[in-house]
Amino acid sequence: MAQIAVRDRSAFAESRPRSTVREFFQQKSTVAFLFTLPLILLIAALVVYPAFYSIYLAMLSKRMDRFVGLANFTFLFTRETFWMVVKQSCIFAITAVIFKALIGFIVAHLVHAIPSEGQRKWRGMLLVPWVIPPALSTLAWLWLFDPSYSAFNYIIEGLGGGPIPWTGDALWARFSVILVNIWIGAPFFMIMYLAALKSVPAELYEVAAIDGASWFQKLWYITLPMMRNIIAITTLFSLIVTFANFDIVRILTAGGPIDQTHMFATWAFKLGIEGGDIPLGASISLFMVPILTIAAIFILRDINKRGERM
Amino acid sequence: MAKLKVTRRRFLQTTAAASTMIAAPFVRDANAAGSLSIGFWDHWVPGGNKATEEIVRAWAEKEKVDVKMDFITSQGNKNLLTIAAEAQAKSGHDIFAFPTWWPQQHAESLEPVDDLMTELIKQNGNVNGTVEYLGRAKGRWLAIPATNGSQIKGPCSRIDLMKQHAGIDVQAMYPAGSAPKAENWTLDTFLKAAEACHKAGFAFGIGLGQTTDSVDTAGAIFQSFDAHLVDKNGKVTVKSDNVRKAMEFYKKLAAVLPPDAPAWDDASNNKWLVSGRGALIMNPPSAWAVAKRDAPQVAEQCWTHGFPSGPAGRFAPFLPYFWGIWNFSKNKSAAKSALLALSTHDAIAKMVAASGGYDLPAYEKLTTLKTWAEEGPPKGTLYHYPNPHNHQTLSIAAAPAPPAIAFQIYTQAVLTKMVARHLQGEALEKTLAWAETEVEGFMRT
Amino acid sequence: MAATALSPSSSAAAQADADAGPVGGDRKWALRWAYLFLCIFAGFALMPPLYMLITGLKTSSEISAARNPWWVYHPTLANFTELLTSPVFQTFFKNSVIVAVLVVAITMLISVPAAFALSRMKFWGSGILATGVFLTYLVPETLLFIPLFKMFATFRDWTGIELINRWYVLLLLYPTLTVPFCTWIMIGYFASIPKELDEAALIDGASWTQTLMKIFVPVALPGIIAATIFAFTVAWAQFLYPLAFTTSQDQLVLSVGIATTLIRADVFNWGQIMAGALLGAAPPLIIYAFLMDYYIAGLTAGATKG
Repeated sequence: MAQIAVRDRSAFAESRPRSTVREFFQQKSTVAFLFTLPLILLIAALVVYPAFYSIYLAMLSKRMDRFVGLANFTFLFTRETFWMVVKQSCIFAITAVIFKALIGFIVAHLVHAIPSEGQRKWRGMLLVPWVIPPALSTLAWLWLFDPSYSAFNYIIEGLGGGPIPWTGDALWARFSVILVNIWIGAPFFMIMYLAALKSVPAELYEVAAIDGASWFQKLWYITLPMMRNIIAITTLFSLIVTFANFDIVRILTAGGPIDQTHMFATWAFKLGIEGGDIPLGASISLFMVPILTIAAIFILRDINKRGERM
Repeated sequence: MAKLKVTRRRFLQTTAAASTMIAAPFVRDANAAGSLSIGFWDHWVPGGNKATEEIVRAWAEKEKVDVKMDFITSQGNKNLLTIAAEAQAKSGHDIFAFPTWWPQQHAESLEPVDDLMTELIKQNGNVNGTVEYLGRAKGRWLAIPATNGSQIKGPCSRIDLMKQHAGIDVQAMYPAGSAPKAENWTLDTFLKAAEACHKAGFAFGIGLGQTTDSVDTAGAIFQSFDAHLVDKNGKVTVKSDNVRKAMEFYKKLAAVLPPDAPAWDDASNNKWLVSGRGALIMNPPSAWAVAKRDAPQVAEQCWTHGFPSGPAGRFAPFLPYFWGIWNFSKNKSAAKSALLALSTHDAIAKMVAASGGYDLPAYEKLTTLKTWAEEGPPKGTLYHYPNPHNHQTLSIAAAPAPPAIAFQIYTQAVLTKMVARHLQGEALEKTLAWAETEVEGFMRT
Repeated sequence: MAATALSPSSSAAAQADADAGPVGGDRKWALRWAYLFLCIFAGFALMPPLYMLITGLKTSSEISAARNPWWVYHPTLANFTELLTSPVFQTFFKNSVIVAVLVVAITMLISVPAAFALSRMKFWGSGILATGVFLTYLVPETLLFIPLFKMFATFRDWTGIELINRWYVLLLLYPTLTVPFCTWIMIGYFASIPKELDEAALIDGASWTQTLMKIFVPVALPGIIAATIFAFTVAWAQFLYPLAFTTSQDQLVLSVGIATTLIRADVFNWGQIMAGALLGAAPPLIIYAFLMDYYIAGLTAGATKG
C-alpha cells in the first residue's frame, strides 16, 4: 500500500509541475506577452530610455556639469528665434498637411474615375515620389532650386520673367520647403484615399443619383463621412512626421535664410550639435513632444469614439 | 662577428635616430607601437588626401604602428557630428582634425601639446595670431595647427572684369613674386568697384548666409573697422560707434551683392565664379581649381590677392584646422610622434603641393613654398594667397572676444544675420538691439 | 450584395457617371478632364527623377556651361560607370543591401508576433500598448542619437563589443523606426481577417504559436509582404542615424555615402551626385515596380477598416 501510495504520489508529483508549466505557457496572457516582448524590449531600450535620458540632459547646464532644472526652457522662451521656430514649424506642418490631403484627395478621385484597367499604371507613376529616399530626392530639388543653375529659372527667364530666389528669399524658401514636402507626401494620401474610396459601396452613389443629388452633395454626405476615419488617421500620421521633419529643411535651406525656415529638429541640431550646447538642443527637441501628443490624443480619441459607436 | 653586429646595429640606430630625431623621445617605450586611429578632414581638392595618407603610412611603417585613417567630410557638418559624439562618449579616434573653434570647445577633453608646439615653432617658425588665439587655452596649447584645410579666405578676382569695369589692375596691385602695391586697395575702392561691377552685371559674389564663407568675410570687414560685438574682456559692445560704421558700410555693399546672398552656402560663391557671373569672390583657391577643370577660360583670368584695408587696418580671415589628441586616447605617444611627422618641412610641402596650393601651413617660415609661385594658369595666381609679405593681419571673425562667446557669434552667424536683417529693411537700432540680446544669450554657462 | 457582384469596371463606370458633373454631363468629357489632370500630376511627380537622369548623363563641364538644363547635348554614361566600378560606391551599396535585408528580417520577427498578439489576443494592456507603439513616432531621431551614442559607448565599456562606427549598429537602430509602423500596418491588416479562422484553430487544440505560424501567416501573407516592402524602403532611405553613427568610409551606407563623399563642400560635382542619387533610389523603385500591388495593399490595409 505504501508503495502504491508512493508511486501514485510520485506520479502525481511528476506530472503536476510539467502540466502547470505547459499550461502557463499556453495561457493566452503569457503567449501574448512573449509575442510582444521583443517589441516592448526594443522600444523600452532604444526609444523610451534614451528619451527620458534626454529629458535629463535638457535640464543640465550648458557644460553639462550641473543641474539647472527648467532654466533652458525659460531661456528659450526669451529668444525671438524660438518663437519664430514655433510659428514656422506650425505653419509648415499645417500648410503642408492640408495641401497633401487636398491634393491626395483630388488625385484619388481622378484615379478612381478612370476605368480600373488603366488605374494601375497611373497609381504606379503617382506613387514614385514616396518611394524614392527623401534624402536623395531632396538633392534633386536642391539642384532644381540652385541660385545659379536652377532649371526652373531657366524656363522662367526664357519666358521673360525674372529669376526666382527659391531658397534665397524667406517667403520663397518657405514655399520651396513646403513644396518639396508636398511632393514627397501627397502620394501617400492619394493611395490611402483611393483605397478608402474603393471601399465605399457603389450603390450608395447610385441611390443618391436617383434621388437627384449633385456631385457636391454626394461628396459631402456620402464620401466624406465614409472616409472620416481614414482621413483622421492619415492626417495625424502625416502631421507628426511633417512636424518632426529634418531631412528636407536640412538639405534644402539648412534653416535659412536668417533662420526663417528652421523647424524644431533642424534648430535643435544647429544649437545643440553645431553650437555645442547639447542640453539646449535637447530642450528644443522636447518642445515637439507635447504639441504632438495633444494632437495625437485628440484624433485618436475621435477615432476610438467612432469605432465604439460603429 | 660581434663587432660587425654591433656596428651594424649602431649604424641602424644612428640613422634611425637621425631620421626620427624629434620623434625619438616620444616613441621610446615599447608600448608606443601598437595602434593609432586618425580622423582627418576630407579634402575638397581631388587627390588632396593622398599626400597625407602617404606621409602617415611611411611614418607608421617606420614606427611599426598599426594606423587606421578616416577622411571625414565637413559637408553637412559631418566632422562636427563626429567630434560631438566622440567627446560625449569619450571614445573614438586618437587624433582628430578640429576646425577653427573646436579645440576651444573641447579644451577639457584634449591632451595638451605644449611639448610638440615648442619643437615645431623652433623648427618651422612662429605661428600667426589666429592660431594662438584659437589653439591656446589657459596658457596651454590644445592642438597643433594642421596644414590640410587651413586656408585664407581672401579675394579671388577676375583680372579682365576688374580691369574693364572697375578700372583696377589686380595683377599690378599684387604682382607675382614681389611685394604688393596695395595702398589704394581700401574698403572705399572696394565698394566703388563692387558698385561698378554690379552695374555691369558682374556683381561681387559675397554671401550673407550662415556658413563660414559669409561669416568670415563679415568678420574681416568688421575688424577693419575695429568693430566688435564683444570685446576681449567679455563686455558686450554691440552698440558702439565702430559697429555702426561697419553696418553702414555693409548696407551699401549689400545693396550691390546678389539678391539671394542671405541664403548662400559655402558652395554658392564657387558656382558664382565658375559660371562666369562674378568679378570677385572671397574664397580659397578651390573655386579656381574647379574652374581650371570645368571653365578654363574663367580660370585663366583668376587672381588671388589680399583683402582691402579699412580704418583700423588690413585684416584677412585665416581659418586654421588643428590636429588634436583626445585625452582618452590610448596611444598618446604614438599620436605625438605622428603629428611631428606630419609637420616636417617636407611633409608640409608635399601636402601643399597635393592640394594645389589650397592648404596653408600656419608657420612663418613656410609661406613661400614653390607651389604657390608656380601654380597656374595664370602663373603666379596663387603667389599672394599665403600672405607671403605679411601685409595683412590674419584674424578670425569675432576675435578677440573670449573664445567661448566668439564661437557662438561665429556659428550662429550673428554678423551676417545682422547685415541681412538691416538690408531687408529693419532699422539699425532694432538690429543692434536684437544682436545685443543674442550675444547676451551666449554668455550663458 | 448585388453591387459587389458587379464587375469593377462597370461599378467604376457607374461611379464616373455618378460623379460626372451636372446631371446629363458627358462621361467622355469627365474622363478627358480626368486624364488631363492626371497627366499634369504625374508629370509633377516624375519630373525630379527625370531631371536626376538628365543631369546624371552630363559631364561637369556641360553643367557649368549652363546651357539648357533640360536637355543633354553630349550624353555620357561616365558618371554612372565611374560610380558602379568604384570600390567605394560598391561598398556603400553592399552595406545598404546587407543592412536593409537584415533589418527587414529582424523587423518581421518582432512585428508579426506582436501584431498578432495585439490584434487577436485581447489582453490586459493591449490597447494601451498598441497606442503606445504608434506614439513612439512622436520621439524624433534628432533627440535620440546623442543619448544612444552614450549608451552604446557605455555598453562597449561593459562588454567590449564595439558598436559605434560599425554598420551593424544600424541593425539596432533601424528597427525602432520600422517596427512600430509595420506593427501598425499589420494590426490593421490582421483585423480584416475573419476571427473565425483562428477561433476554429484554437478550438481544434492548436497552440497560439501554431495558430500564428501555420494558419494566420499564410492567410496574412500579402499584408506581411507589404510590411516587408515598407520596412525595406524605410531602412534603405535612412539618413540621420547612419550620418551620426557611421564615419569610416567602409562602414557607410548609400544615402550618407552619396551625400558626403560625392558632395565635396564647395566643389559640387552635380552630374555624379545625381547619378549616385538615381542609383541609390533604384532598388526601392525596382522592388516597388514589381511588387506594387502588395505595397499598396499593405499601406491601405488600415484604410478600409480604420
